[in-house]
Amino acid sequence: MRIPSLIIVFCLFVGCDSRIETFEPNEVFSLALAKARSTSTDLASQDTSRVVEDLYGTPDEPRWPESPAAKKAVVDERNLFRASGPVSSEKDGTHVGLFREHCVTCHALEGSGAGPASVFQDPYPRDFRHGVFKWKSTERGKKPTHRDIRELLTKGIPGTAMPSFALLAPEDLDALVDYVVFLSTRGEVERRVTAAAIDELDYGDTAPIAELILSSQGDTEGGQVVQELVDRVHEDWAEAEQYEVAVPSFPELSGEQLVASVARGKEFFHGKVANCAGCHGPAGDGSLPTLDYDDWTKDYTTRIGLTPDDREAMKPFRKAGALRPRTIAPRTLRDGVFHGGGDSASLYRRITQGIAGTPMPAVEVVAEPNGKGLTTGQIWDLVRYVQQLSTSQ
Amino acid sequence: MSWAGWLLSIYFVGTAIKVVERNMASESTLAEQKASGQLVHRLCLLLVCLVWPLIWVGGLVTTYDAGMAVPDWPGTYGYNLFLYPYKTWLLGPFDLFIEHGHRLLGAVVGLVAISLVISAHFKESRRWVFVLTLGLLVAVITQGLLGGLRVVLGDRTLAMVHGCFGPAFFALCAATAVITSRRWNEYLGRQGVIRVGSGLVMLFAAIPALSYTQLVLGAQLRHVQPNASPGIFAMIVATHVIMAFLLWFLTAVAWLKIRRCGDLTLSRPAGLLIGLVAVQIALGVGTWVVNYGWPSILAWVPGSAGFLVRAKGFSDSIIVTSHVATGSLILAVSVVVWIRLLRVRHCCKGTIDPAATEREDADSSPKNEQKTNVSLLEPVIA
Ligand code: HEC
Repeated sequence: MRIPSLIIVFCLFVGCDSRIETFEPNEVFSLALAKARSTSTDLASQDTSRVVEDLYGTPDEPRWPESPAAKKAVVDERNLFRASGPVSSEKDGTHVGLFREHCVTCHALEGSGAGPASVFQDPYPRDFRHGVFKWKSTERGKKPTHRDIRELLTKGIPGTAMPSFALLAPEDLDALVDYVVFLSTRGEVERRVTAAAIDELDYGDTAPIAELILSSQGDTEGGQVVQELVDRVHEDWAEAEQYEVAVPSFPELSGEQLVASVARGKEFFHGKVANCAGCHGPAGDGSLPTLDYDDWTKDYTTRIGLTPDDREAMKPFRKAGALRPRTIAPRTLRDGVFHGGGDSASLYRRITQGIAGTPMPAVEVVAEPNGKGLTTGQIWDLVRYVQQLSTSQ
Repeated sequence: MSWAGWLLSIYFVGTAIKVVERNMASESTLAEQKASGQLVHRLCLLLVCLVWPLIWVGGLVTTYDAGMAVPDWPGTYGYNLFLYPYKTWLLGPFDLFIEHGHRLLGAVVGLVAISLVISAHFKESRRWVFVLTLGLLVAVITQGLLGGLRVVLGDRTLAMVHGCFGPAFFALCAATAVITSRRWNEYLGRQGVIRVGSGLVMLFAAIPALSYTQLVLGAQLRHVQPNASPGIFAMIVATHVIMAFLLWFLTAVAWLKIRRCGDLTLSRPAGLLIGLVAVQIALGVGTWVVNYGWPSILAWVPGSAGFLVRAKGFSDSIIVTSHVATGSLILAVSVVVWIRLLRVRHCCKGTIDPAATEREDADSSPKNEQKTNVSLLEPVIA
């Protein structure tokens, strides 16, 4: 009896952690949606939160939806348990609460990328809720595979704040990968459901008829819409592997052949088709002045007709939790640092897919030189030129 | 947020300071000059020597998030703390190794604190010093409870309070060691070399005050809540950085003021503080970098563009932990200098004719020194 009362006295006196009951709703998105559709999204976002919590649980007790389609996305619920909740550890040394131990200060509880320590980072930590990832082996518009995320966690992203977690136990990494998929899925469903409430279900300043109310059960129309969206997002994750970009074998060249290939690569670099120099600069040092933003920022700025550096217009979004919009600049290719890996396969994928979520465009792969794309051989020329640039300083 | 926790530490330290100040003044006139027993002082030194490593290990526990490696308390997995099989401890997981080690060391500190109180009871003639040692014991028990509750409740806020209270306790140990030292009495015989005005005392009080504030700010960053706002975090970072340079500036000014005082027990640690704060600033930058990569304002540093943060790297965690430990060291050293300065000031007040002190430039007046010595010794002889 004595110890509990002692604890209560202490908590009153010293103050304890604030309890984390729920995931915060995606207010930035609701606001952007309200602006885009010129309507109130309050009701829609309220009901979305309720439905999403039914489906995916809370930060302490995550859940994975039961439907057959949802089940396809391979997320192990035991992993969700290990990665979620407050930091703690068990007798054998295994940690639980991994996400809060390793990721939350940057990526935030919801995976919004606006964690406590995010402000000074450039690029900002990823907002997982868009379901868009930069560094992956799959096609631009597709989800990354579990293997991609796992590799990313081991390697980290040099030159950004994203750490390498190579020293973590393999099971910890698996758990974290699943949790990233969980947060991303949950966040994307949340976005889609809110949008569908406005666009398909008559949500607005007033609530729609009962049939259209958002629900986590599939009987009503509101329930079916939710179910479809859940299935769709889960399926996207489940089929990611099928969209892995196959990389043709990379012919190792040396001597004159290499010199010639690099020279051709240089031409493509400056040429009309790839026109890398147009953004990365003729010298490839990223020194051309550009003014652009990534898709995570555009989502609540240019896409809804707002200027990111208009402070007044940004105020409500900043209040809702958005970080200050930050421009994205083409990288220098001369410092030997490639955020997504500098090996030939990674560069091939970067060139042929572009970088999802960023202005970096893709070069089309063509069978015969036709002035619209590059052939595989030509892309390898370009890769060799870029690799050579990166080592020449 | 737990400002109450901060207040708790301030209250503790504040009370201790008041006790010291009040008694220092009376003591110098009463000529209650029996030195504390050697044993008392030695135990204090032992405490200081144990508590700094304790802070290191405690810092490591946080850096490795090992705080919850042993989920029960006061026992360890049902064992009595001291009876936990040492083989499992030494050969088990690293988390368990440091967490259990931290508890063991903490318990040893507690035992030393108990012996200190006992020896002070028998050997210490100044009652207020005995009370001070009692205060130390209460503090160490409080700290143990805080640590235990942190584990039982799995609470980050308590972890932060525990982390802030530790350095305060360390500083208090250092202060007690100074007060029980033989030199403490020798100050009486050495007065007049410098004149310690209230401005100087304030300046030297500002250093521990500022460094403790820094410590608390740092703890807020280190024990940040998962749902803390990025704006507030950024504000704390900015304050922490600005105050670091302010503190550095203050230590330089303070050292300039007393560098020629002729008393090495003052000028040396004051000089040391400048160096420690410099090291601390470097460690602070390092701590940021190993946690969050190079910030944009330091993008000119060669190699920063390709820097890769490595979570839980050993050398990285040493950098972070030494930032924590150096913070406590700065606090303790600045408290030591300040307490000694207070001592000098109070000895002067009690014994020197104020008019005489004002007339002469105390800095370079051997005559004055002699005179003081005589007048100081008078009551003793009488
Ligand atoms: C110190 C801050 C920080 C921490 C801690 C951190 N990240 Fe990141 N993370 C970032 C930043 C910054 C980026 C964006 C990098 C970029 O845009 O290239 C990022 C990007 C990512 C991405 C997206 C990569 C892509 O392909 O788009 C994933 C996934 C990710 N982090 C997962 C994690 C996980 C899981 C953890 C915890 C184990 C974690 N991060 C911890 C800062 C951090």
